[in-house]
Amino acid sequence: MSSENSGGRVGVLPRRGASVTGKPRRNRPGAGGGRAAGLRAGGNPLRALGRLLVWAFVAFNILVFVFLILSSVKTSQEIFQAPWGIPRSLHFENWTNAWHESGFARATLNTVGLAVGGSVCTLAVSAPASYVLARVRVVSAGPLTVFFVLGLGIPAQVTVIPLFEMMSRVDLVNSLVGLFILYTATHVPFTVFLLTGFMRSLPTEIEEAAAIDGASPFRSFWQVMLPLARSGLVTVLILNVISMWNETLLGIVFLQSVDKYTLSLALLNFLSSMQFSGADYGGLFAGVCILVLPMLALYLWLWRRIIEGITLGAGK
Amino acid sequence: MALATATARGPRRRRGPRAGTAAFERSRRRLYLPFVVPALLLHLAFVIGPTLAALWISFHEWDGVSGMQWRGLDNYSALFDDPTFRTALVNTFIILVVAGAAIFIVSFGLTMLVREMRGRSFIRSVLFFPHIVSAIVLSIVWGFIFQHNGVVNTFLNKVFGAEPIGWLNADNLFRMILIGTVWISTGLYVTIIMAAVDRIPRYFYEDALLAGANSFQRLRYVTLPLSWDVISVAAIFWTISSLKIFEFIYAFGGTTNDLPPPSVWNSALFVYGESFGGRSPSYLFGYASASAILMLALFTVLIVALRRVLRRDSIEF
Repeated sequence: MSSENSGGRVGVLPRRGASVTGKPRRNRPGAGGGRAAGLRAGGNPLRALGRLLVWAFVAFNILVFVFLILSSVKTSQEIFQAPWGIPRSLHFENWTNAWHESGFARATLNTVGLAVGGSVCTLAVSAPASYVLARVRVVSAGPLTVFFVLGLGIPAQVTVIPLFEMMSRVDLVNSLVGLFILYTATHVPFTVFLLTGFMRSLPTEIEEAAAIDGASPFRSFWQVMLPLARSGLVTVLILNVISMWNETLLGIVFLQSVDKYTLSLALLNFLSSMQFSGADYGGLFAGVCILVLPMLALYLWLWRRIIEGITLGAGK
Repeated sequence: MALATATARGPRRRRGPRAGTAAFERSRRRLYLPFVVPALLLHLAFVIGPTLAALWISFHEWDGVSGMQWRGLDNYSALFDDPTFRTALVNTFIILVVAGAAIFIVSFGLTMLVREMRGRSFIRSVLFFPHIVSAIVLSIVWGFIFQHNGVVNTFLNKVFGAEPIGWLNADNLFRMILIGTVWISTGLYVTIIMAAVDRIPRYFYEDALLAGANSFQRLRYVTLPLSWDVISVAAIFWTISSLKIFEFIYAFGGTTNDLPPPSVWNSALFVYGESFGGRSPSYLFGYASASAILMLALFTVLIVALRRVLRRDSIEF
C-alpha cells in the first residue's frame, strides 16, 4: 500500500527522504524558494514537538495497560502506595479469587459462547443476503441495502424497551438464548453493510467463468464467492466478536441472575460489591484483565485484519 | 480500497451477450428471496419493528406491567420541562460537537504527523487499541487514574509538589468524560483518515512541491480535497456513534451501585435511568421511549443536514 519509510527512495523523492534523516530538509529549499523554505524551517521545531506528543500519547496507552497488568497482582494497598512499582510479591490470589469466587469463570464461559455463537450466526444469515444484494440485479436490491444500513443509525436505547417487552412475552428475558438471539439480530445491519460493499468490490469474472462452466448460482456462491470473500468474512466476524464481547447495555437490561452474567456485567457487579465488601482493587484489576486480555491477544494476532475492516467500512 | 475501479468496470463488461451468463443471471435471481429473507426478517423483528414500537409506546404512559394509557404528545412536552432531560440533551450535543471537533482535529494532526514518522504502523495500532477494549474498562481506568489519591495526583504531587486536584468533582466530571471520549475514539479516526490519505497518489504531492506549495498549502489543496469523501463519511459515523455512547459514562457510577449523577447523563443514560436503571428503577417506559425517539429524530435531521453540508463533487483519482 504505502511505504512512507522506505528510505531507499531518498534520491527520487526529496521530501520523504528528508523526513527519514530529519536534518537535510533545511538545506534544500531549491524548489520552493525563500518563503517556503522559511516556513519549513519554522515548522521543524513544531513538528518535533508534535512527534513528542505522538509518542507521549502512545506511551500513555501502553502504560495504562502495563498498569492494569501490574495492578492485577498487587494488593489494594500497594496499588495506591506505589502505582508504578514492580509488585513486591505476586498476588495471584487476585486472579483465582476473581475467577472462582466473583463468578468470572462462569462469565467467561457465557461471554465466549455468546460472542462466538452470535457472530457466527450473524455471518451465516448476512453473508447470503449480502451476496444477492451485491450481485443480483433486481430493482429492490439497492433500496433494500439502504434499508439494512438504516439499522446502523438506530441506537440500542431506542429499541431496548420494546425488545424487553417482546422477549418477556416469549419468556426469553434473563436467558442467554434470548441474549444470543438479540446479539445475532442486532449485528445484521453492520454485517450486511460491510459485506455488500466488500462483495461488490470483488471481480465478477471468476463467477462468470464458473457460470459458463455450468455451475449453479448456489454452487457459485458457495464455492466461488465465499472463498473469494474470505478475508471480508473473517474481518467482519472478528469485528462482531469484539463488539459482542464488550456489549453491555443489552446485557444489563436482559440478564438478572449472576450465573448468566457476561464479563462486563461480572465486572460491574464486582465494582458495586466493593461498596460492601471493601475495596479490593487488586481483584478488580484481575477482573479487568480477564475481560481485556483475550481481546488484546486477538488484536495482537489479527490487528491488520481488524484495521482493514474498519477502514473498508468507511472507505466506501 | 480499489472500490472505485472495480465498480466502474462491472456493469459494462457484462453487457456482452454470453449464453451461459444470461441463464446464470436468471437462475441467480431465484436465489434472491431465499437468501435475503432470513436476514430481512431478523432486521424487521429486532431493529425496525422495535423502533416503530418505541414510537408507539412514546405516546403512552406505561410501566410495562399495567395497561398502556394514551397520552398523545404529553410525554414529549414533559421532556422539555424536565431539567434532567435538558441536561442530557445538552450533554449529548456537547459530546457530539465539542468532543467531535477535538477528535477530528487531533486525529487529523496525528495522521499528518504519524505518517511521516518511523514506526507508523506500530503507533497507529497502539492508538487504535482502546477501540477494541470494553468502554467499561476504559471508564474504570480513567476514573481510577484521576481519583483524588490516584496516579495523576500522586505524580503531580511528587514532581511539582501540587495539591491534589479534584478531577472528578461534580464540576469537572463531565469535562473528564469528554476528554476520555476523545482519548478512546481518536485512534479509530486516525486509522480511517490515514487510510484515506494513503490512497492519494504521490505525484500530486510532487506536483505541488514543484509548484512551490508549502506544507499548509499541500494540506489545503491536495490532502483535504482528496480525502474529503472519507472524512465526511467519518463525520457521519461519529455522529451516529456519539449518540450510542453509554458504557463509558455509565461506569462512572463506580462503586455506588447506582447510576452516575444526572449532571453527566447523555440521552442513552437518560433512557436507561428512566426505565431499567438505578437502585430503584422508575419504569417510565413511555417517557423514556419519547426521549429516545426525540433524540433519534433530532439526529436523523442532523445527519441529513450534515450530508448536505459536507457534500462535494467527488474527485476521481
